[in-house]
Amino acid sequence: MRPLTEEETKVMFEKLSKYIGDNIKLLVDRPDGSYCFRLHNERVYYMSEKILKLATNISRDKLVSVGTCFGKFTKSIKFRLHITALDFLAPYAKFKVWVKPGQEQSFLYGNHVLKSGLGRITENTMQYQGVVVYSMTDVPLGFGVAAKTTQECRRVDPMSIVVFHQADVGEFIRNEDTLT
Amino acid sequence: MQRLYVGGLSHTITQKDLKDRFGKFGQVEDVELRTRKDDEGVPYKTFSYININITDADLKKCMTVLNKSKWKGGTLQIETAKESFLHRLAEERQTAEQQRLLPPAPEDQKQKMLDSLSKAGVENFTMKAAVPGTEVPGHEDWVVSKFGRVLPVLQLKCQKGSRARTLKYDPSKYSHNIRKLDRPSADQSASDLPTPVSQLTWELQGGDDDISKKRRGEFPAYEPPKRKKIQKDAVNSLKAEGKPRLKRSVHSVALTEAPQVTNGHKPPSTVRPAQMKGPPLTLSDIDSDDEIHRIVAVQSSSHDALQQDEDKLEVVGLDYLVTPGRARQQQKGGHGDEEENDYDSADTDELLASRKPPPPPPPPRSSSPPPQERPTLTAGNISGNNTDRKTKTKKKSKAGEETDAEEPSTQKRRDAGKLSSQKQSKKTKVLPVVKPSSSESESDDDDEEEEESADSSSDSDYEAMFSNVTRLEISLADLQKLAEEFQDTSETTAPSSLSVSERETKPPKKGTTPEEILAALMEDDSSEEEQQSKKKKKKKRKADATTQLLPAFKGTKALNEGSETEEGQKEEEEGEGTEVKQLKVDHKATSSKMNGQKHTETESSEDEEDEEEEEEEPKKKEAVVKNMAEKAESVSSSSSDEEEEEEEEEQEKKGKVFKNMAKKAQKESSSSSDEDEEEEEVPKANQTVLTSKAAAASSSSSSSEEDEDEILPAKDAVKAAPPPAPHSESSEEEEEEEEEKQAPLRVPLGAKEEKERQRKANIRRLAAVQQRQKETEENKKLIQGALANLDAPAAGAGKHIVFGSDDDEEADSDDEQQTTSEIKTPKKTLFQDSQSENEAPGHKNTTTKEKKLSGTHLFGGSEEEEDADEEEDGSRFDIRPEFEGRAGHKLMELQSRFGKDERFKMDSRFLERIEDKEGESEKKKSGTEEEEALEEERKKSLSILQSVLGSSQHTSSSSKTTSKAKTFRDVSALHYDPSREEHAAFETKIEDTKKESKAARRKKREEAQKLPEVSKEIYYDVSGDLKAVFGQTKEEEEEEEEEEEAVAEKEETNWDQEEDKKKEEAGEQVEQPTLESSLLSADRGAEKEEASGFKFSFFGDDAETGSGETAEYKIESIQAPKLSWQQDPRFHDSSSDEEEEKKGQEEEEKTQSNVIAKIEETPAKTGLFFFYPEDSRLTEGPKLFCRSSQLEEQKEQWEERRTELRQEYRKKHKDARRKLKTSVKS
Repeated sequence: MRPLTEEETKVMFEKLSKYIGDNIKLLVDRPDGSYCFRLHNERVYYMSEKILKLATNISRDKLVSVGTCFGKFTKSIKFRLHITALDFLAPYAKFKVWVKPGQEQSFLYGNHVLKSGLGRITENTMQYQGVVVYSMTDVPLGFGVAAKTTQECRRVDPMSIVVFHQADVGEFIRNEDTLT
Repeated sequence: MQRLYVGGLSHTITQKDLKDRFGKFGQVEDVELRTRKDDEGVPYKTFSYININITDADLKKCMTVLNKSKWKGGTLQIETAKESFLHRLAEERQTAEQQRLLPPAPEDQKQKMLDSLSKAGVENFTMKAAVPGTEVPGHEDWVVSKFGRVLPVLQLKCQKGSRARTLKYDPSKYSHNIRKLDRPSADQSASDLPTPVSQLTWELQGGDDDISKKRRGEFPAYEPPKRKKIQKDAVNSLKAEGKPRLKRSVHSVALTEAPQVTNGHKPPSTVRPAQMKGPPLTLSDIDSDDEIHRIVAVQSSSHDALQQDEDKLEVVGLDYLVTPGRARQQQKGGHGDEEENDYDSADTDELLASRKPPPPPPPPRSSSPPPQERPTLTAGNISGNNTDRKTKTKKKSKAGEETDAEEPSTQKRRDAGKLSSQKQSKKTKVLPVVKPSSSESESDDDDEEEEESADSSSDSDYEAMFSNVTRLEISLADLQKLAEEFQDTSETTAPSSLSVSERETKPPKKGTTPEEILAALMEDDSSEEEQQSKKKKKKKRKADATTQLLPAFKGTKALNEGSETEEGQKEEEEGEGTEVKQLKVDHKATSSKMNGQKHTETESSEDEEDEEEEEEEPKKKEAVVKNMAEKAESVSSSSSDEEEEEEEEEQEKKGKVFKNMAKKAQKESSSSSDEDEEEEEVPKANQTVLTSKAAAASSSSSSSEEDEDEILPAKDAVKAAPPPAPHSESSEEEEEEEEEKQAPLRVPLGAKEEKERQRKANIRRLAAVQQRQKETEENKKLIQGALANLDAPAAGAGKHIVFGSDDDEEADSDDEQQTTSEIKTPKKTLFQDSQSENEAPGHKNTTTKEKKLSGTHLFGGSEEEEDADEEEDGSRFDIRPEFEGRAGHKLMELQSRFGKDERFKMDSRFLERIEDKEGESEKKKSGTEEEEALEEERKKSLSILQSVLGSSQHTSSSSKTTSKAKTFRDVSALHYDPSREEHAAFETKIEDTKKESKAARRKKREEAQKLPEVSKEIYYDVSGDLKAVFGQTKEEEEEEEEEEEAVAEKEETNWDQEEDKKKEEAGEQVEQPTLESSLLSADRGAEKEEASGFKFSFFGDDAETGSGETAEYKIESIQAPKLSWQQDPRFHDSSSDEEEEKKGQEEEEKTQSNVIAKIEETPAKTGLFFFYPEDSRLTEGPKLFCRSSQLEEQKEQWEERRTELRQEYRKKHKDARRKLKTSVKS
């Protein structure tokens, strides 16, 4: 477990900023204590200082997970967001997409969101903007990337994809073994 | 027969006339004469109908003859008339009858029809190759429709409004929707053949379901559609089809958006095709109801889905608030409150969980002894809270119930104790009375003995519950009153207790109400207990031992002590002999013993009570109550109030117990016990200075006797052992002596003092009680540990166990002492110096036991010893300063936590450290390196974040500040503070650089624009001169000159040289070396001198020469102003003058050298300098000063120009304005 390098931090922040914009600073700089990102097994964990200290007691090879996993770095040093970060990102999300109940399941199975399943969308969403996908009951379901702008979403045909699937809470079950 | 109309008759004519007249032609059967009359009755027309049998020929004849013939004043007019309706009617009837008689064969008609149709080319009601709509030839009512089918045209009667009309229904016009059914193929069985129309079912019988009803045309009253149901159905059906459906119906239902909610479950894509296909709902379909249901559901759902599809897409602003909380609430509600709504398989667990009433908080199985918590209760509380407890306890298992029954009793005891201890009742905790309940319950119910152990455990539960109870505050006065009431009402404590108990609500328990228990205890305790003890010694012992583990002794002991001391004092005052005292003590001891061990005799108890009554009332009561409590609580060793006593007893007991287990005779046991005791005491002796083996022997003997009665399993004893006490068994003799010594001292003390003392003792006692609680906790733990070893056999290993236990006890005691650090040390000292507590407890125990044996003579001593104990207690129970205050409380907790092991003893050092740490942490949390590192990291990450986001620095500053001081700060309220150093870090270097660059740029610009500095004096002097000079000479030249000066002031010292060269090269100019010119040159030189720092030249090599020349020029320049400029030499001249001057002033060689040096450069220079030979300026310049054209022309031109300029200006102005406006707008 080690702190992120500058580059890693940058990559990660760039990714996060797609979803929550400058709200990242609310994660880094929290009034309720100091929180930090740590890299462990190519995964980025977000934890409080307290837990960090506790975790120092555990040897690196024995440590499976600590804090909340935000995502992992691929071999090519790209950052891939994990669904576990949802709880932290959803409240700060800039752009949101609400999925109709009928398509919730589809999304939770890892499929993209079609126009027909799009219930609501934040205005002025740009194309390829990271979005947090909500159910119509405002339960965050996962991450996505807007495939169309809001304006385009209005007029595309119902079967076209409007949000690319990135991560969903279904992964808690589907990828139970790899999610840490 | 013919009917004729005859008109034109005269009014007077008669039927007979007519008959006659027409009779000629035929036989007149009937004449009907009619006359038309007007209003006045005047006939104006007469005619008649005549039925006549006439042949046609006759009729013709008649017609020709009579028609238009005149008869009796009128012209006859004869016509044939229609038959009379009557006649016709008759005829019809007749024919009808006839027809009835022989009905026409329908077959024939049909056949006829068919034939006729077939004639028209119709085969089996089909006409091939006929266009729909064509009429069948010969049959108006038949029409060819689709598929060449011949159908009848229907005439439908339609009653519309009041008038009826017929509608013609031409099937051919509506035949486009006729569909051809598949022809049954050859291989199909007969059943598959289409049933003929006549055999179709026209009525559906049975079937109460909606569909069949609807088929029958019975529609139920309209109900608003139930969405959920539909949903469910749909879902089910879909599931049945094997399509995975979303299960989140609940949430969706709960959602705010109704339409979506209802539609929720069908992904439109899947639904649509189904709808388009639309399962054919023809009647011939063999649809089961289920299927129909399903289809309906699907259709409806698909419809919904379609509707949903049409839902407009919601677009939400950035500030749209997501309320996950609400959603969650809804979810929760769905699970908790609205479970009925939907049951998803996933939710079942939650549903189940929520359905269940929240399980009663699991009774803490802690082994903490009841006395600990009990003390917290006040008398008021107990009564008030009984009901609550009941409700709680009801849920409990049987053991719990038993405890229920017992608890009240215990409560009462406690109440009594409370009352008795009036003074401190509020603040301090009541004496922990150990487990009276269990023993009592045993006494009451013999059957429940086995369950006793369970009870004890359950008791702890009860106490845990009690910890929640709120306190009732009772004033001291109230308590006193109560106590007095106690006294007054009853001599015996029993009634008083009853009264007390009456006030309290009682749990509805079997037979054992607390009062009963109390009464039993008070009155029959001895007998009952005896019996019981005899009956079931062993079991009881076990239970009691376990119960005894919960020691509450201190308080009781203190009370006893107080009472005893009083007694002793009284006795002393009375002058009674020690024997008497001893007796009394014996009585007390016996009573307590009896209570505890159930061997007590009624007499002894009574005696005790009496004595106590004699003593001060509250004290007595306390004592009594305590005694009762004691009785109740501990069977075996309960008699001993103090911990030490307990310890000793227990130790003894252990030894004895083992013996008992061996079931030896008393004496044998005693002897053995003696041995054991000795062994035991060896370690004790080490600790305690004053130990006498004789005393030990006596005590052991007594204990051995006790042991007979109490057959305690060794383990129980071990458990019971924990109450730690410094055990030094002091010899009775010594004690006696001491006591005797003390006694005389005490005698003089006044009653008041005594009282005071007592009060103090009470206080101490209360303090001790607190301590006790902790100890008891520890004990419990120990007991638990010991319980694990319960199964070990007693006999052989007994000794070992005993020793081990002894050691343990000692260790425990030590620990306790240490933990309760203050108390311990004094104790020890006391022990060593004066046989103090240890002796006293020992005495008590021994005495109690001896009583059995009937050894009375020790007791006087014991009393005195108790007094001594009091004192010691006083010192012992002082609250240590360490434990005062909040910090002290913490320390206490810490100590209690690690109480067992000395190694873990937490003394004040720890506390200090902790405090220090706290202080440090509070002062600066970020002090540690780690935090700094974290801080660094965060800063770094923030900076990176900024680089990523390109956001302002302000945030970072804020973040830093916040991070430094961990207090929460409003981000929006953060501001850049220039006074802070940290803030300087993000003080926008960018801006600085910008500024710098700006400044630099400006500088550069300035530099570029800046004219070389000119010393003002000189300049002005010169300028004045120059003005004068140039004004005289040539303005243009001057201008040029000045301009050049301005522009080229940077020019170097080489100016002169240039001039020189120029002159040399272009020697054409006439030069007159004049002083004036030299002056000018001098001026120049001065100028140059000032600009000397600034090197600029048109020529690269000038620099060298510059400095020296300037110096020279300087000298001249000083001279220069003195000279006047007289002539107006041409500009060129001046230069030439200069040269001349130089030449004059300087040596030729120099000029030569210069010339030589610059000869090479000359070609370049020629093009570069201001003036050239035949300079155009020189030639054209003068022209500028004379008018080239006429003034008029110029004026015109100028005016033209002016207009143009004006326009241009206006235009520009407008543009500028427009721009300004737009900029303002934007």
